[in-house]
Amino acid sequence: MSSPVIALEDVTLTLMGNAGPVNILRDISLRVEPGETLGLVGPSGSGKSSLLMLMAGLEAASSGRITVLGQELTALGEDALARFRRGNVGVVFQSFHLIPTMTAIENVATPLELAGARDAFGRARAELDAVGLGARRDHYPAQLSGGEQQRVALARAAVTRPRILFADEPTGNLDGATGEAIMRLLFELRDRHGATLVLVTHAPDLARRCDRVLGLRDGALETYAEAAE
Amino acid sequence: MIPVAWRLATRELRGGLRGFYILLICLTLGVAAIAAVGTVRSAIEHGLEREAAAMLGGDAKMEFAYRFATGEERGWMDRHAAVVSEIVDFRSMVATGAGDARRTGLVQVKGIDDAYPLIGAVTLAGGGTLRDALATRDGLPGMVAQGLLLDRLGLRPGDVVTLGTQRFRIADRIVTEPDGAGAGFTLGPRVIVRRADLAGSGLLGEGSLFDSEYRLRLAPGTDLDQLRDAARAAFADAGLQWRDRRDATPSLRRFVDRLGSFLVLMGLAGLAVGGVGVGAAVRGHLDGKKETIATLRTLGAESNTVLLVYLIQIGLVATLGIALGLALGAGLPLAAAPLIESRLPMPAAFGLYARPLVEAAVYGGLTALIFTLWPLARARDIRAAELFREIETRRRWPAPVFLAAILALVALLIALAVRLSGDTRLALTTVGGLVFALALLLAAALGLRLAARRAARSRLSGGRPALRWALAALGGPSGETAAVVLSLGLGLAVLAGIGQIDYNMRHLVAAELPDRAPAFFFVDIQDDQLARFVSAAESEPGVERVETAPMLRGVITRINGVPAREAVGHGHWALSGDRGVTYAAAPPPGTTITQGEWWPADYAGEPRMSFAEEEAGELGLRLGDKVTLNVLGRDLTATITSLRRVDFRSMGINFLMILNPAALAGAPHGNIATVYAGPEAEAPLLRAVTADAPNITAISVREAMDQASDALRSISAATRWGAGATLLTGIIVLIGAAASGQRARVYESAVLRTLGATRARVLASFALRSALAGLAAGVVAVIAGLGAGWWVTARVMEADYVFAPGSALFVVAGGALASLVAGLVFALRPLRARPARVLRARE
Repeated sequence: MSSPVIALEDVTLTLMGNAGPVNILRDISLRVEPGETLGLVGPSGSGKSSLLMLMAGLEAASSGRITVLGQELTALGEDALARFRRGNVGVVFQSFHLIPTMTAIENVATPLELAGARDAFGRARAELDAVGLGARRDHYPAQLSGGEQQRVALARAAVTRPRILFADEPTGNLDGATGEAIMRLLFELRDRHGATLVLVTHAPDLARRCDRVLGLRDGALETYAEAAE
Repeated sequence: MIPVAWRLATRELRGGLRGFYILLICLTLGVAAIAAVGTVRSAIEHGLEREAAAMLGGDAKMEFAYRFATGEERGWMDRHAAVVSEIVDFRSMVATGAGDARRTGLVQVKGIDDAYPLIGAVTLAGGGTLRDALATRDGLPGMVAQGLLLDRLGLRPGDVVTLGTQRFRIADRIVTEPDGAGAGFTLGPRVIVRRADLAGSGLLGEGSLFDSEYRLRLAPGTDLDQLRDAARAAFADAGLQWRDRRDATPSLRRFVDRLGSFLVLMGLAGLAVGGVGVGAAVRGHLDGKKETIATLRTLGAESNTVLLVYLIQIGLVATLGIALGLALGAGLPLAAAPLIESRLPMPAAFGLYARPLVEAAVYGGLTALIFTLWPLARARDIRAAELFREIETRRRWPAPVFLAAILALVALLIALAVRLSGDTRLALTTVGGLVFALALLLAAALGLRLAARRAARSRLSGGRPALRWALAALGGPSGETAAVVLSLGLGLAVLAGIGQIDYNMRHLVAAELPDRAPAFFFVDIQDDQLARFVSAAESEPGVERVETAPMLRGVITRINGVPAREAVGHGHWALSGDRGVTYAAAPPPGTTITQGEWWPADYAGEPRMSFAEEEAGELGLRLGDKVTLNVLGRDLTATITSLRRVDFRSMGINFLMILNPAALAGAPHGNIATVYAGPEAEAPLLRAVTADAPNITAISVREAMDQASDALRSISAATRWGAGATLLTGIIVLIGAAASGQRARVYESAVLRTLGATRARVLASFALRSALAGLAAGVVAVIAGLGAGWWVTARVMEADYVFAPGSALFVVAGGALASLVAGLVFALRPLRARPARVLRARE
């Protein structure tokens, strides 16, 4: 058995709310294998996005152990986590989170620039071409449709050739047809780069495309369903 | 890291400076004010330097009090200088008309020789030369006078006036006098006559009060230090005062320096207010960038990269603001140079001077850094998780290293202010006052917030929803209250302070002086005129009291055998020039001896002296010390045998030094008199006592005080301009705060209107909150101004403080009004916006 790319052991996440501590995640333990696509499903507030953010090193666990690509994230500070994400991890959000003051190509080139990569713009251009937005590369986010913005976000997540892609409801803000196109693109990217994919979604048909689906309810893992395939 | 940060920073700036305008305006204004004041100060300093020789009247000047140079002394000068010009300078009265039509005017007479002026030229309104104007025609020597005298006495060229017992023909009006600005503060307008024509005036006899000046034009390359030392050696103990072109007008220069420093420090106050705006603008800007920063963090940006990105951005905008400020601050004085020059009583050489610009740029840069580091440090702490979670997970305070950096920068700013102003006490007092005022305003803002929160929940606002909403907003977490109080408060506090001080100064002159000050000082009363003078004065109706004393002048040359300046080690006023000296057999009425004993009435031994207690303390003099005075070129050493309490503010006859009569026996002298009378008695009194004695000079205390308060008023006007600049910056900050709060108000208005509030009611609530915050700023400003006013009046002027209600009311109302207007302007959009659209956009 190969070593997992992601391993969580007894992870909990508790945040302080106005009315006191709120348990977001409770005793989560799971493993994600290299090249696997994992779907996370569950009702709103079940903690699936929080779980994804913990795995991406965007959130710090309250207790437990998170190991990603052999690196124990719980031991890292904010800046070390930022350095870790460069090149290892790509994240796609439901709300795209493009930087409004940068053009499409600049948005895509930014993670490469931060990683000190050479020819950041050449690679960004190629990635935008790959998502079909080569002609729109000098447009600002406000000049792009929702679907186009999400394609830019996909290109940005993939441009550093990350070993793991995290997608947090990437079609949540898009209409059906556009969402479908984005999902196709996401899986294509994953296939092309051979990355592991962790996908949070509400949509059952999207979840069915994953190798494995985990359900969450009230911050705990509920079901352990294998994908239809 | 830097190239990436630079690229990211400049990428964001491409979209323009939106969000940075307030920062830009605040810095531009603050830097411009400091650069402008500094440029004018440098222009004056360079002007004084350039015109030093002209203002001094020569390359060097040797001055004697009360006497002319002896033949031997004059011989020394002739040997060492290429040309020597002898001038006599004194106060006297010019009279015109006779009987009841007789009018007199106090003048400052300059008696010149043929060599005058060694440098420059006197220009006359008629366009002729000075030599022609002063020439004797029809038996009457000529006199030229400043316009003020001619206007006061209704004189025209050709009219005849008397100066002492000599008649003169008014020849022309003086337009410029090359050495005029170097003369310092004079009580009367200037008149120039030929020194030779004064021979028959009876004004330059022994015992008369006059200065003789010998201006030297030196051969090129003369070593001024060497010549000064030679002069001091040759004229040791002769009462010589030396001055040369390197420091021609020290007191004027000191005054310009101090006023300039003070105004620069006032500019710093403006910059501090601007800094509050800069901080708020940066905080607002970075709040809007929270998502971008969190995204960058998601993409792998380290916290220091984030810090650098925004530090570069703000640095670039700040640099632009500082550059604009420097251009304005240097350009405006240059553009207005002719106007400023025409209004300045001293020469100025306008140009681009590096020092004030560097000073302003450094102050601007430091202020920008101090006020932006805090929000920058907080932005550095933004975590990627903030992208998807509203919970604020950052610490409230920036990391300790940033707090330490901010404190270090503040310390550096204060150290620079002290160093660059050249006056530690002034700088520390002003900076301390500023810090205190800012702390007071901050405390007031917090207090107001708490009080408003409490009042919003009390019965006071029950049934008054507009008031309750206003109070709730003031007590809420938006920070609007602090922004208004801080931005308006400091400028208003300075204005309030000036208002209180100005009022007290005027009150002192108008109300307090007449109660205790004499109406006139009369000087140069000869011994044989004294009895007649006293009886003439006392027989005038309305005259309450006449006091007289013998009057001589002497220069303190040595203390216990050591040259006075060396013995004391600093420039005390008692040592700068000659001082009045008198003698008395018994302590004058009202004298309080605090130490030692007065001499016996018939004492005729070694000279003894009674010294003013406070000044003795300042000079380090004690009983038994020996003070050497040069009186009329002769040295006289007296032992201090008593110290007296002297109240120089009483405006009566007061002397620093009183000697026993025998010590000054034989020294020719005049007498001084003070006459206490009501204002209505002044004119007849003047006519009665000077008609028969034209050599007697009358100085109206009221006019002198008016003149002094006019001079003070000019200073307070300059200060008011400084406060105006601070206030303008404050208003810009206020507008910035109102503008940044607009979005929240649009939403608030939409919700309130959805809930059934009319637009009038919403408007009333917005107006109330603005006015209340402005009112609070005004009240705090008045409290701070009151403190400053009390301190200056009671501690500096040593007078009773009187509250100035008008100025206070103006400041409080002004604060409320400014805040109200700014608030209302930015209330229009919230009121116009349709609630449905606002709320839908928010979803």
